Amino acid sequence: MSQDLEPKQYGVRPPPELNPRTDPVLDFPDADYGELEPEDYRTLGFMSGLEVHQQLLTRSKLFCRCPAGRYVDEYDAEVLRHMRPTLSELGEYDGTALMEFKTRKEIVYQLERGSVCTYEMDDTPPFEIDGEAVRIAIEIAELLDLNLVSELHVMRKQYLDGSIPTGFQRTAMVGLTGTIPFRVPELGVNRELRIRQLSLEEDACREIADVGHYITFRTDRLGMPLTETVTEPDLANPLEVQAAGRLLARVVQATGKVRRGPGAARQDVNVSVAGGRRIEIKGVDNHRNLPRLVHVEAYRQLNLLRVRAELQNRGVDPEMLTVPETGLPWEVTPHAVDAASAVSPCEYAPIRDALEREEKVIGVRLPGFGGLLGHRTQPGVTFAREFADRIRVIACPVHRPFIIHSDLTDYGLDPRQWRALSKQLRVEQGDVMVVVWMPESDAATAVREIFIRAREALVGIPAETRQAFSDGTTGFERILPGPDRMYPDTDTPPVRIRDELVLEVREGLPETPWARESRYEALGLDPEPARRLAAAPWAELFDALAPAPGAPARRFADVLETRIPHHRRNGAIDYLPSAQRLDPLVRAVESGAIRPEAMERALDDLIDAPDRSVDKVLAPYRPGPDDDAELERAVADAAARAEALAGKPAEAVLRWAMGEVMPRFLGRVDPSRVRQRLIAALQLAGTEVAG
Amino acid sequence: MTEATHDLYKGYRGPCLEVMKRFGITVWCEVRAETTRGTFEGLLLPRSETSDDLHLVLKLGSGYNIGVRHDTVRSLEKIGYREAHYQIPEKEFPTDPVKPSVKLFGTGGTIASRLDYRTGAVIPAFSPGELYGSVPELAEICNLETEKLFGVFSENMGPEQYLRLAEEVGGAIREGYDGIVIGHGTDTMHHTAAALSFMVQRPPVPIVMVGSQRSSDRPSSDAARNLINACSTAASGPIAEVMVCMFGPTSDRYNLLHRGTRVRKMHSSYRSTFRTLGDIPLAMVQDGEITPLKHGYRPRRDDREVTVQAAFEERVTIAYYYPGMHPDMIDALVEKGYKGIVIAGTGLGHVNRRIYPALERAHAAGVHMYMTLQTLWGFVQMHVYETGREILQLGVVPLANMLPEVAYIKLGWALGVHPDEPDAVRELMTATIAGEMTEREPHDGYLIFQGGVPEVQEFLEKIWR
Repeated sequence: MSQDLEPKQYGVRPPPELNPRTDPVLDFPDADYGELEPEDYRTLGFMSGLEVHQQLLTRSKLFCRCPAGRYVDEYDAEVLRHMRPTLSELGEYDGTALMEFKTRKEIVYQLERGSVCTYEMDDTPPFEIDGEAVRIAIEIAELLDLNLVSELHVMRKQYLDGSIPTGFQRTAMVGLTGTIPFRVPELGVNRELRIRQLSLEEDACREIADVGHYITFRTDRLGMPLTETVTEPDLANPLEVQAAGRLLARVVQATGKVRRGPGAARQDVNVSVAGGRRIEIKGVDNHRNLPRLVHVEAYRQLNLLRVRAELQNRGVDPEMLTVPETGLPWEVTPHAVDAASAVSPCEYAPIRDALEREEKVIGVRLPGFGGLLGHRTQPGVTFAREFADRIRVIACPVHRPFIIHSDLTDYGLDPRQWRALSKQLRVEQGDVMVVVWMPESDAATAVREIFIRAREALVGIPAETRQAFSDGTTGFERILPGPDRMYPDTDTPPVRIRDELVLEVREGLPETPWARESRYEALGLDPEPARRLAAAPWAELFDALAPAPGAPARRFADVLETRIPHHRRNGAIDYLPSAQRLDPLVRAVESGAIRPEAMERALDDLIDAPDRSVDKVLAPYRPGPDDDAELERAVADAAARAEALAGKPAEAVLRWAMGEVMPRFLGRVDPSRVRQRLIAALQLAGTEVAG
Repeated sequence: MTEATHDLYKGYRGPCLEVMKRFGITVWCEVRAETTRGTFEGLLLPRSETSDDLHLVLKLGSGYNIGVRHDTVRSLEKIGYREAHYQIPEKEFPTDPVKPSVKLFGTGGTIASRLDYRTGAVIPAFSPGELYGSVPELAEICNLETEKLFGVFSENMGPEQYLRLAEEVGGAIREGYDGIVIGHGTDTMHHTAAALSFMVQRPPVPIVMVGSQRSSDRPSSDAARNLINACSTAASGPIAEVMVCMFGPTSDRYNLLHRGTRVRKMHSSYRSTFRTLGDIPLAMVQDGEITPLKHGYRPRRDDREVTVQAAFEERVTIAYYYPGMHPDMIDALVEKGYKGIVIAGTGLGHVNRRIYPALERAHAAGVHMYMTLQTLWGFVQMHVYETGREILQLGVVPLANMLPEVAYIKLGWALGVHPDEPDAVRELMTATIAGEMTEREPHDGYLIFQGGVPEVQEFLEKIWR
């Protein structure tokens, strides 16, 4: 879709933030996930790219020698910190930084002696970068066909949300600009996926609690090495996003040197639609939810653009939403008032309680916003939540709810109170009133945020990162930071990536998923089964047994795919059977010593009776000298017993007889021969039973 | 190379310089580099002088820097030019006639600074306007004036700077400031604190030394909090002594005010590195509120009278004793003309017998010798063991619980003040003039908790955060 929208080389210019199409498709009907075709997403101008974070399987963390992967629930001590924004080179605070300073969080880090040292708590400078992690990152970069840098420069990427005690993440660029084959037969995708970059960075803390002005983090995960793989925004619909996520996961997993399990791989997904801008949804830790999330975000953008169009229609301009920079907003603008008298006494419990706690109750008038706060932006979510989210994150109210608005007149205040407030705010036709309640200083921040968000509604879609909720919707997380928050880490020297190391890594490079798929196709598998096998945990087992091309390979792939998950589900095995145990079976099938249709059952037997010798397990499936005689006896016996079924349809009788006789001869006799013998014995010849 | 060409190729030399010249590229060029490892585009940054001469540094559009090795470069194409001009924005520091006035002297540490995001260079913020831009809270505390005295790192502070600083501090006090703040690198802050404690006598206002363990270009820096608490202490604190104002715990909670002669940097990188040894700190400061902990500090006065005795004899040293020490170590010092030796002895103040003859020779040569302790905590007690009594007889004078670095500074100062009066020096050294020796050590003057002990763990979990 976007191949020709961006030059292949990217470097000097920062990644584009705006969707290249500026014509929002405002009249495109709202649709739930699953209702649209790829063509529809094309119409919407859907664009998406992934940033996949993958923890590496190293012994130590990236910049200290604490063990990586030690997760604990108890802790020995706590440290309290604050984050202060530093000025950018233009002498201005980065938007994210400023926002996070406004939140004035007390940040508490929980420390456990076994998993963190004084490095993680920012009381010791970094140690040498972990060589194992660098090597794995190079290996992944090679698999992704990236241009490797000659020297790693550790950078600091500012994060003021507290998730890293230093206030920045140490990160280094490893490789740039690559392409990998992107083949998804079931989606009709067969092209290349462009990879923008791969960096090596340290993981952040795990958030434990975030209440009001206190946020608590556990530090065990902090500092673990991970790679971030960034794709170009080439993914054209939600299913492609999911497929690309799975593909990238398989590439890194091919190394065998990455962590698995919950939280070990997390992706940020960037989405935009025509007229919109890049929005980043952070920390999605599974591929299952990805398509719905990006679909919902596409529609959120479309609906924010609709709100903008309506506001423009109504002639709302930013001047009408401006508040003087200093002072309490309700003292310096007529658009905000102390609403305590208008709402008291209050029967609505949240406000009544707030008044009892001596908090502020503030009424805000948003000119021209009437009816829009109730506009649906996500499934079950209205435009009002855009305001509520901002306030929640930035003003940090402790009590919830903390906001109502007059588009929902039968809620919160009674009509008399709405009227009183409306009079106090001099509300006019087409306006909306918002009421917030919280302690004074937070209320001041909240009211300012309401006006800020309202002004952004005129721009359309604010640049922000969003967090994914389990219901498929997203919520505001923070303002999207710019490249200005990146600066060199003066604590670490550059690290050379020597040619010898690169050559060594190249020699030991694992097979890529696409190479594996091609190899399976060459063995005679169809594209889809080939892809499934390449992604399966038993692919190694398949390779170790190396079934002959054609029927044996197809059969064996099919048997593994149906039987291994079955045994795992039943708990019969929690590991794959060894290649050694399965080898005689595969070889026997290849040579014709055992007929192929016995493979599935024989595999089951080998797994179900792990203590029996392979020979004994396979013996019943091997043809013997007495097979013919035995078959005749069995057929005769079945024919005799079939008399009880007289009157039943011939086909049912035959099916019954096959079921009686065939299992005993599985692997030994051709089923069609058994069938013929039964037809003859049952004197069914000439009936409509098909051969 | 001329200065101008030097700037064009800033930090590049050897093969990289050749590559740049070959393709007509200078720093701040936006370039497309075709290399054996692929194509890279970025802004060519200056190279750190201490890095190797094999790599070009590019800043990518994403903000990342990368290194490109010279011999991978097939071609460099200039596609733009963008020179960084980094300046700290100044905002006028608001003055308020009712607020106390504070003088901030800069010695070169980066207590407040801004960062050049492209090169990563830290640019010190120092003028009141610059400081106001980065720590606006200061304006709520005092009227601030600043003066940069030196531009040296902490480790390069020495006697020459002590003398100048003492005179300037004395001058500022007489000018009428309500308090003095000195921004200083942390490594030798306690040396300078000791020097000022001896040289600036009976100050009427607080003299507060402050620094930071995490530079102020970092969001988690301790610089702003240290500066705010130091300015509060100087502006309105009740203690008229030379103090060090740095983090109490590693958490962002409160600062401690340490007496200038009892404080020592105790960890290479912790925020809470400064500790008062053998006593309790003078006070805690939190959000501008000062809570004295120790009684008997010198209170703030309304006058602006102060005695400055700025003098220093540089031929003074600390001999850190170790078991295998040879006597020629001491002989060499005497031979080189050292006038004073502070010994940091083991235990209660001991050295081995082997060096006795050297000590005797030094004493005979008129070298002043004083005994302090490697243990840092506790008193020199040379009467308990025979060794101690023998050393005393060799002319080594015990200095109670004076810290070795403080003793070094004091001896340099005393010899500077009384260059030709050995008795006066000895008298000065054994008298306490700025709290450098204490008569008694309180039981809680020595607290080094041991992690892992259940009761300590409980304390850490519940209180120390």
